[in-house]
Amino acid sequence: MSSCPQQQENCIAYVRYIRDKTNQLLEVMGTEPLQEEELDDHALIELDPIGTIAQSFGHILEYLNETINELQVAKDELQAIFDATGVGISIIDNNFRILRCNEKQRTLLLTPETEDVTGCYCFDAYGNRNAPVEHCPAKYTFATGQPAVAREIIKRGKYFQVATTPFARDENNKVTTVIEVSLDITEKKMAEQSEKEQRDFYLTEKSKLATVLESLSEGLLVAGTNDRILSVNRSATMILQRDEVELIGLALTDLFPVISVELTDPMEIIQGLELTCTQARTNECHLSLNMAPLLDNEMKRIGRVITFRNITEEKKQQELYHRTEKLSAIGQLSAGVAHELNTPLGSILGYARLLLKQENLTQQQREQLAVIAEQAKKSGTIIQALLNFSRHAQPTQCRLDACDLNSVIKNALCLLTTELSKRKIILTTDLELIPKVCADPWGIEQVVLNLVMNALQAIGSQGDIRIIVRRQPGGVRLEVQDSGPGIPDEVRSRIFDPFFTTKPFGEGTGLGLSICAGIVNENGGNIDIAKSDSRGTTFVVILPCKESVDA
Amino acid sequence: MSNDERSIETIELNILGQVCPACLLVVLKQINQYRERLRNGTARLLVRTDHRDTTRTVPASAQKMGLGVEVHKVSTYYEIIIGGAS
Repeated sequence: MSSCPQQQENCIAYVRYIRDKTNQLLEVMGTEPLQEEELDDHALIELDPIGTIAQSFGHILEYLNETINELQVAKDELQAIFDATGVGISIIDNNFRILRCNEKQRTLLLTPETEDVTGCYCFDAYGNRNAPVEHCPAKYTFATGQPAVAREIIKRGKYFQVATTPFARDENNKVTTVIEVSLDITEKKMAEQSEKEQRDFYLTEKSKLATVLESLSEGLLVAGTNDRILSVNRSATMILQRDEVELIGLALTDLFPVISVELTDPMEIIQGLELTCTQARTNECHLSLNMAPLLDNEMKRIGRVITFRNITEEKKQQELYHRTEKLSAIGQLSAGVAHELNTPLGSILGYARLLLKQENLTQQQREQLAVIAEQAKKSGTIIQALLNFSRHAQPTQCRLDACDLNSVIKNALCLLTTELSKRKIILTTDLELIPKVCADPWGIEQVVLNLVMNALQAIGSQGDIRIIVRRQPGGVRLEVQDSGPGIPDEVRSRIFDPFFTTKPFGEGTGLGLSICAGIVNENGGNIDIAKSDSRGTTFVVILPCKESVDA
Repeated sequence: MSNDERSIETIELNILGQVCPACLLVVLKQINQYRERLRNGTARLLVRTDHRDTTRTVPASAQKMGLGVEVHKVSTYYEIIIGGAS
């Protein structure tokens, strides 16, 4: 089929138009123009390039609209998050101008009457300053490109933590905007302060309690639910004479076997139980003990508390008091008996001596009168001892004065020279230089004499006596040691009782040590047996020194 | 092969020996024809081409239409797999 030239020209122009417009569209799509050798006119028309590209543009536009819609939703969501977040957020440019800030930031750092701060300097709007401060986190982030945190900024009575992080950078990677986040840490700060105050209060109370417990004169033990000791105070270690390390972990039954039964009841309460306890495994002491369950704040049992005090000295004082009372009663009785017997005995002795002067007596009568006189004289000696005893046994106001104990001892020993020389007994003295004691010298001399005489009688014919004087806190200590057979345990508690004697009948009055006890008590001192076994006995006398009495 | 992969139809388009932009026009025509299925993942278009420029122009256009694109070199030619959301 042939066509006219006009139609052919129109067709060529039409194809050129299609090709030009197709190339124009392809250029928009970023590709090379079509070459005729690549796609001839017929193939070009067949391919419908303009329709194809138009349809593709339609798809691209559709996808673009979808993306725009999604971005809009995302933007709205981000805006909602930006406004609803619990932290203040600002976007700040590198001139420190605020580009945006959320509502929380306005609430935290701005006053309610403040207008929009967009475009304002952040240091002016948020800090009322003329320039950024040295430790400004935004300044650090702009300078280094690194995130920064400024801790504890205080504004309007509130504490804030401000952090900045890079948000956008220029082509040289320099930070151009930062996001600044402000977190209100006031509650956290207050909670920390409150916790610190509570901790300080707790530590102070703990320290006070520890001081109180340590200063208690009573011993204190705290045991766990297994009745093993958890803690002890200083007095407990002193009373028990054991180290804290030795006591911690020790079972209460091992320390106080006598309360084993009470310990079977976890809620047992003991008040003022008197018991004997071993100090440092050897010495014994008397304790008064209290025990109660230890409860926590929910009244749940968490262990026991045991307090105790050493009543050894108290018991000794009680014994001494009872002995003094007994001595006083016996003394009164003795004084009466002695007074009543003294007169008739005087008559018996006087008449016996008068009769002995008669010359017409037979030998037998003379011997019998001599016995009467001698026995009456012996009775008189006993009565004199009774009178002496009764004088010291009854509480009287004796005259105490500064007294040199060592001189008193030397004087007493002079009186014993004859007695000592009769036997093979060696008496030695070890008299330390001591301050003067507050005592009646005559009474103390009598005590020394009686103790040494007692030692001589205990030793018999051969042995040693040693007298030692030492200074001790508040007084002096006099010891009289002998190498006699010792005092049996069963009679030791009665050794200071009047009329008690271990000598054969008729050889002793049993008043010597009673008189000693009476005199020492009158002088404000103590007398006791420090040691007694088969190797000998040691009597100890404690006398107060003049300085401590004056003080 | 998973059930998902079995249910995806592969539409193959062999344009070996052709050069851009004719290649691009041919591929765009196929995309236009199957666009909905390519987007919802029930079909994928496997294009075989030995013209390197096509591996740039076709993926760029397909991605602008919201389609996922993978390009693999296979011995002497390239495989462009178009399909699924980008």
